[in-house]
Amino acid sequence: MADLQKLYDAVLNGDQKTAIAVTNEALADGANALDLITNYMVPAMDEVGRLFECEDYFVPELLLSARAMKGSLEILRPLLAAQGAQPAGRVVIGTVKGDLHDIGKNLVASMLEGGGFEVMDLGADVAPEKFIAAIKERGANIVCLSALLTVTMPSMRTTIEALKQAGVRDQVKVLVGGAPVTAQFATEIGADGYSDNANGAVALARTFV
Amino acid sequence: MLPPSRQRLLDALAHRQPDRIPIDFGGSAVTGVHVSCVAALRDHYGLEKRPVSVHEPYQMLGFIDEDLRHAMGLDVTGVFPRNTMFGFPNSQWKEWDFRGQTVLVSTDFRTTVEPNGDILIYPEGDESAPPSGRMPVGSAFFDTIVRQPAFTDETLNILDNLEEFSLMKDGDLDHVRASVAAAQGKNCGILATFGGTAFGDIALVPAPFLKAPKGIRDVAEWYMSTTSRRGYVHKIFEHQCAIGLQNLAKIHAAIGDSVDAVFLCGTDFGTQTSQFCSVRTFNDLWFPYYKAVNDWVHANTQWKCFKHSCGSVEKLFESFIAAGFDIINPVQCSATGMEPAALKAKYGDRLVFWGGGVDTQKTLPFGTPEEVRVEVLRRCEIFSPGGGFVFDSIHNIQAGTPVANLVAMIDAVHEFNGANHG
Repeated sequence: MADLQKLYDAVLNGDQKTAIAVTNEALADGANALDLITNYMVPAMDEVGRLFECEDYFVPELLLSARAMKGSLEILRPLLAAQGAQPAGRVVIGTVKGDLHDIGKNLVASMLEGGGFEVMDLGADVAPEKFIAAIKERGANIVCLSALLTVTMPSMRTTIEALKQAGVRDQVKVLVGGAPVTAQFATEIGADGYSDNANGAVALARTFV
Repeated sequence: MLPPSRQRLLDALAHRQPDRIPIDFGGSAVTGVHVSCVAALRDHYGLEKRPVSVHEPYQMLGFIDEDLRHAMGLDVTGVFPRNTMFGFPNSQWKEWDFRGQTVLVSTDFRTTVEPNGDILIYPEGDESAPPSGRMPVGSAFFDTIVRQPAFTDETLNILDNLEEFSLMKDGDLDHVRASVAAAQGKNCGILATFGGTAFGDIALVPAPFLKAPKGIRDVAEWYMSTTSRRGYVHKIFEHQCAIGLQNLAKIHAAIGDSVDAVFLCGTDFGTQTSQFCSVRTFNDLWFPYYKAVNDWVHANTQWKCFKHSCGSVEKLFESFIAAGFDIINPVQCSATGMEPAALKAKYGDRLVFWGGGVDTQKTLPFGTPEEVRVEVLRRCEIFSPGGGFVFDSIHNIQAGTPVANLVAMIDAVHEFNGANHG
């Protein structure tokens, strides 16, 4: 039997090769995909988040763990769908129109996936209509907007206004983040939440589902 | 007797009380002004109407010409590298319509427009190469297009990540000599950027200046490599450091001590709330190379060593100081642990704060002129005693900043200087 503690350790230590190998081995031994995620990978990512909070881990370690986790998830996701397993929530995420910066957004997306959310990442420079289409297509209940530049922050307000006009604002919680974004700005533009880091975004998202 | 502006800067850098706080806008690519704001300032001060030259197309930073420098009362001018971030020199100028504003750009500034209105720019001005920068509709800056070739750990070759580091050629040194001579003619302090000693600057890793970069060029891959391939990164830094030291020696032989401060590295170590790495990682991976460069500078020149790092980096200040940096920029006071009075009290006699003058994420672009004035006066009050302070906003002045706020900022520094220094 595969040693599933190794899966936990591989995600925690950002070792993608081992994470994939143990996942394949476990599945060959008949392991349940949801069990691997719920009991090993999500707890590992929770520990990654905790280590980030106490400054034992930093951005490079977060990226490595997220990549390891994603490597396993890509194998497990089709099996989850076949099992009819439900995610913790459905998230649409993107960097707003005019802004190409995506490192922070990618981190949040990965941490949300690690937290058991289904994430549709629209990439960077995303127009409001793309967010609206994705919300409708995926039945999303959370939308995450990112911006790095002061000149593109207004696109967050524009996007939220567009969600209202499209009639989808009430079905989603809107979380915002990015270097120049503040809690005050989030309130001003009518967002539901703000986080200044990826781990905080996951914690916030969990309160909304 | 030195010109007053230069003496002012030298006093501040030596932690002596200058006659007034020296001011820098436009002296480097991290203390610059967006070209649209330069134009707005020229209009405000009633200067000759003419297109502003873009010296750094990546961030669309505009040259501060002498008439504007005098109008704003600035004390510092810059010496810039021969090539821009997109790998071409600013040797000849042409007009370019920057979304309604006529600006001057290098003749090698070559762009195409995508069907959706995005602007693409090409490395070395070569339109046959893949574009290396994109300015989306709604933005006012270029962002790097990451061109990461496929690789495996087995095929990684250290030389692939060293393509941009080479010994300076005669033409490069001629440029430095000419630029320094021009700067000296302005009778003010000089902040010089020579390039080549920025270890792992994430803006430079994707190499928007190269036509076909190889090695590790993706931003996330680079960050991960600082942990997972640390030996490889060490080797890059070792080579880069050896070449950088030789180039600094060549430069110093060419220009002597005619510049006052040297912008050596812009690698960002801070996020809004924390650092990109632990102090231990910094001390292992970056410290030895910074110390080698700064030690050489201090042993052989009168230059002061200028370090830029955005974000929450107070926890690294002791390491910066131990590595020999004299100056920290941009002093992002809004980030965690970067409270101005605490920084001044703890590090004010060991680090020059070149920046910290006003918040460019909130107050300057979105506040009222009075809010700008109040923040600037408070920062001057905190940072100026005993020298060790060069007034500058926290990083470049961004597009869209109201000119009334820029004028309020400058007027507030002069108000403080007038009230405190006659």
